[in-house]
Amino acid sequence: MTHATLSPSLQSACKRMKSLVSHRRARRLLATLVSMSALAMIGGVAHAQNPVVVHSPNLPGPAATAEPEPPAEKPPETLPTVIVPPGTAAPTEASPYPQGKFEFGSYGRVRVASDLRGGTGRPSNIVSHGARFDESDYAELELRREDKITADVDSKVVATMALFGPFFHFTGNPSDNIGVRNLYAQARYKDVTIWAGARMYRGDDIYVLDYWPLDNQNTVGGGVGAKVYETKAENGTSYETKVQAHFGMNRLDDTYQYQKLSVVAPFGFGTTDIAKLDRPRMVETLKLRELVKSGKDKSGFKVILYGEAQELSAGVYTDTNTHVEQPLPSETGYLIGSELAYFTGERDTYVALFLKHARGIAAYDPLSVPLTFAGDRSVGDASESLVALGGNYERGAFGLVGGAYFRAFRDASANQTGTQKYDEGAIVLRPQAYITDHFGVALDASYQARRTAIIDPNGSGALSASVVRAALMPYFSPWGRGSFKRPQIYAIYAATFRDSGARALYAAEDVFAQRKIEHFAGIGAEWWFNSSSYP
Amino acid sequence: MRNTNPFLSRSVFGALFATALMAPGSGCVSVPDEGKQPALATHVEDWRDEVIYQVLVDRYANGDANNDYKVQPGALARYQGGDWRGLAQNLDYVQSLGVTTLWISPVVKNVETDANVDAYHGYWAQDLTQTNPHFGDLADLRELTAAAHKRNMKVVLDIVTNHMGQAFFYDMNLNGVPDTNVFGTGTSSPVQHISEYDPDWDPRGVQAFSAAGNAGRAPIVFIQDASINRVPPQPGILGTAAAYHGFGRILNYDDPAQRTLGDFPGGLKDVATELPDVRATMVDSYTRWVELADLDGFRIDTVKHVEHEFWQVFTAAVRARLAKQGKNRFLMFGESFDGNDQLLGSYTVPGELDSVFYFSQHYAVYRDIFVNAHDPKSQKGTDQITQLWAQKKTHYGTVPQTDGAGVAPYKLLVNFLDNHDVARFLSDAAGDKDALRNALTLLVTEDGIPCIYYGTEQDFSGGNDPANREILWTSGFDTSGDTFRHVAKLTALRKKYEALRRADTKVVWSSAHTGAESDAGMFAFERAGGDVSAGGYALVVLNTNAKNRGNTQDGMKTMTVSQPAGTVLVDVLDPNPVQLTVGTGGTLAVTVDPQKARIFVPQAQVKP
Repeated sequence: MTHATLSPSLQSACKRMKSLVSHRRARRLLATLVSMSALAMIGGVAHAQNPVVVHSPNLPGPAATAEPEPPAEKPPETLPTVIVPPGTAAPTEASPYPQGKFEFGSYGRVRVASDLRGGTGRPSNIVSHGARFDESDYAELELRREDKITADVDSKVVATMALFGPFFHFTGNPSDNIGVRNLYAQARYKDVTIWAGARMYRGDDIYVLDYWPLDNQNTVGGGVGAKVYETKAENGTSYETKVQAHFGMNRLDDTYQYQKLSVVAPFGFGTTDIAKLDRPRMVETLKLRELVKSGKDKSGFKVILYGEAQELSAGVYTDTNTHVEQPLPSETGYLIGSELAYFTGERDTYVALFLKHARGIAAYDPLSVPLTFAGDRSVGDASESLVALGGNYERGAFGLVGGAYFRAFRDASANQTGTQKYDEGAIVLRPQAYITDHFGVALDASYQARRTAIIDPNGSGALSASVVRAALMPYFSPWGRGSFKRPQIYAIYAATFRDSGARALYAAEDVFAQRKIEHFAGIGAEWWFNSSSYP
Repeated sequence: MRNTNPFLSRSVFGALFATALMAPGSGCVSVPDEGKQPALATHVEDWRDEVIYQVLVDRYANGDANNDYKVQPGALARYQGGDWRGLAQNLDYVQSLGVTTLWISPVVKNVETDANVDAYHGYWAQDLTQTNPHFGDLADLRELTAAAHKRNMKVVLDIVTNHMGQAFFYDMNLNGVPDTNVFGTGTSSPVQHISEYDPDWDPRGVQAFSAAGNAGRAPIVFIQDASINRVPPQPGILGTAAAYHGFGRILNYDDPAQRTLGDFPGGLKDVATELPDVRATMVDSYTRWVELADLDGFRIDTVKHVEHEFWQVFTAAVRARLAKQGKNRFLMFGESFDGNDQLLGSYTVPGELDSVFYFSQHYAVYRDIFVNAHDPKSQKGTDQITQLWAQKKTHYGTVPQTDGAGVAPYKLLVNFLDNHDVARFLSDAAGDKDALRNALTLLVTEDGIPCIYYGTEQDFSGGNDPANREILWTSGFDTSGDTFRHVAKLTALRKKYEALRRADTKVVWSSAHTGAESDAGMFAFERAGGDVSAGGYALVVLNTNAKNRGNTQDGMKTMTVSQPAGTVLVDVLDPNPVQLTVGTGGTLAVTVDPQKARIFVPQAQVKP
């Protein structure tokens, strides 16, 4: 399972809700949709006496694009929905509390394509995060209960089911893969938020790469966040400092972390199970966010400093092939990183720079395990270094959303060669022309390359592979113009040009080892609305 | 509280940026220089100067746990985890033993496993173009050869052209699946056990049959089991039925047709090496490895199972292709698992191989005389050595191969006590270490190239395959053992005295006696003349008798040597050197303790 498939764009969706709900017509439609969804999900047992509240996420999605704007001075009278940005004053009605409601949100992408050779259009990326238009199908369905108990206290319980494609209508297999991506409770007291449960806990993403380059946790644990500083200068510039801390664990079903063995039962006949290996990965994160907003316009900066510490205890597992016990050493790791973002506050325009360096076990995504090791089976010398850039610009009838990154990964093996030592990078640019308010056309152009420390079978040095891709995507956007307006229903044709190094990455029997050009022609849809993956 | 610096992290951010750019690992990925395409070069001056050490890579040293795929420690029929990196990391050990050439087991990708036995040995090739990932990648192999060459060590690659791994079965009953069946009632018809993987030789080709009788040639059906890499061989024609003879398993090794056309026991299907496409594939596939890793020679498996014409084509093509790239004196020696000295020699006639394993000596000398030293009833006299060696010029090529290794085959035979295909010396010799060390003395001092099977220096004593394929690293690479030090001393003498390497050989004493006679078990030979400069000379005297001190005298007869009377000879093997003076007419009576040896050189030639 790739990182990409584990990193859907749900959070982007919720972050972009601001721009979504700031649109009058959008809010009207959204309210209707949310109401219908909530009713559908709860069998019509909604708290009809309370207004439906769309809770904007606290943190921005693609960098600062979804940064909460100042609360609307006056909610639209015609809407049954009240926008309640966090930290804003409670309604002034007498004794309005408690208020409660059910919410439904979703992220999803479903597409189907042909390779124009009689086969299915296949993903062609050779790097961890390339162009996203041919990613596998994925959807999240979120049901959320939100209650506002007093002006200072509120809570929510979030359950997010994720569906991993391909889905039934394509495979004929009714047993779709389902995962619980969120199942947690969160409560706020004044400026302090606390949560516990199973949760995607993420920062900002780069949409076109489907990449959360900095913080991207998938653990069971808990956390606390607090606004620790807020002020406004005489010139109107506001400053806000927020701190978030999190502790989480996971114990993957892999003999790197967990092994269950059957042994002879202590009494009577048969066997009983024991946990031969049980060493969850402990993850502690600390995030400091500084938000600066101009007093003259809607622009601002955001700076994030982020750090992680990870630990894994020593253990012993039994090689079921040899029945020999194998020791696994304890591991530690750290990750430090930062983000610097500038946003205009107009039409989701922003640019964000990410930096990250990780070492030891923290160089590995918490949902994956190391494949290669040092001689003592440790990974202390593994490292990952990253520079990434994301942004969006919209003006008039044009828009440009893009992303790029360079990443160097080195495993802990003393070997100078191996598949787990590589540099990779990609740049994706998606210029768009909004032909009308609802129809547009995008060109998704990208270049990606990977250089792996193995001998190039076609040459002498390290194996270098690169792919150039260009996709034409006419689309219908019912919510209007914008890179992040969804749903989006599109047609697509993409051509992918793969060099000899890229072809060498595939087994000889695979047509991808032989063909230089791939086609991807099809239709698809992507949507997001009313999802909450952030505190 | 007033924040005077709105960007709390400004300086920290800058530091992070620099950290990310300069962080370990952020330099561009590359492969080490040693892992890149090498420039071919000739690394050998005279192959007789070399001491070969046979390495089963899987058993030598584990340098990379990341390729320990499905290893089963201690189960010798399974992978144990050794690899090229481990070998490269432990070259000090073999160098201190005096080894100058590594013979490494096959490098190509193999069928993973067959009948619960793994291809750890490397002889079950599936893809001649890929490395066996159990041993490392191409960069690892290149780094090994580069590391060896830095030490002036050479690397010889083991190759197989006769067969591939068990890639297909004969669908004898035409049911499309491989069967191992029992046929016959035992009363009205004989009971037959038939394996479609490994059916017996049939001169018509393996036959299909049904209840109604014969059904013609049995179709060849390739196995498709990617989980164990049991898939059609590569490259090219090797993945087609046309590339295989399909006559079934050899039953009679003395039948030339069966020997060259039959399948090797164990279901290793015989390749149709007479086909031009197959020959071209073999030449290209294996020469490519030399080009990829700057190898110095081939040890060629099962040569007697391939027709002579193939060797003529193969050797000429390999030599020509390498010579164009600056690699000369490339050694190609073959393995013919046979005591028939004439047969062995037939592969060294002009236009074929540079050398072969001296299997006839393995049987007639090391087994019959040295191994059996503990059993006088079965021990043969040392005159058997004389008789065997006397056939060298008759049976083996007497002129160097054109563009070959540079030395005539009869002077370039690869001598060995044991190898991976036979029980270890100590196993057959009931643990007689004196016999082993005495045999090693002959091995290192006789004409030709000595080849030491890994672990011999550690007194490994495993029986037949796979017990004779022990894990070397369990020894801790100890260099203090008596046998290790004995071999190191012998190889040092061989290096020091050119006569022990390049001189001609003349047997000056041998005996049919094996009992209590004064010269029972005595054997002596001179190394002089030949390609040695400045009158280099050495005299080797061995007593193969396990019980009695021996002398190079028998009644009135005394050994005579070519050195003039009065020449003082010094035993350079003995830590307390014995000096003897050559008598009138070159007579020299040498007394040697049981299972000991003396190596004499003229006093004037003794080197510190």
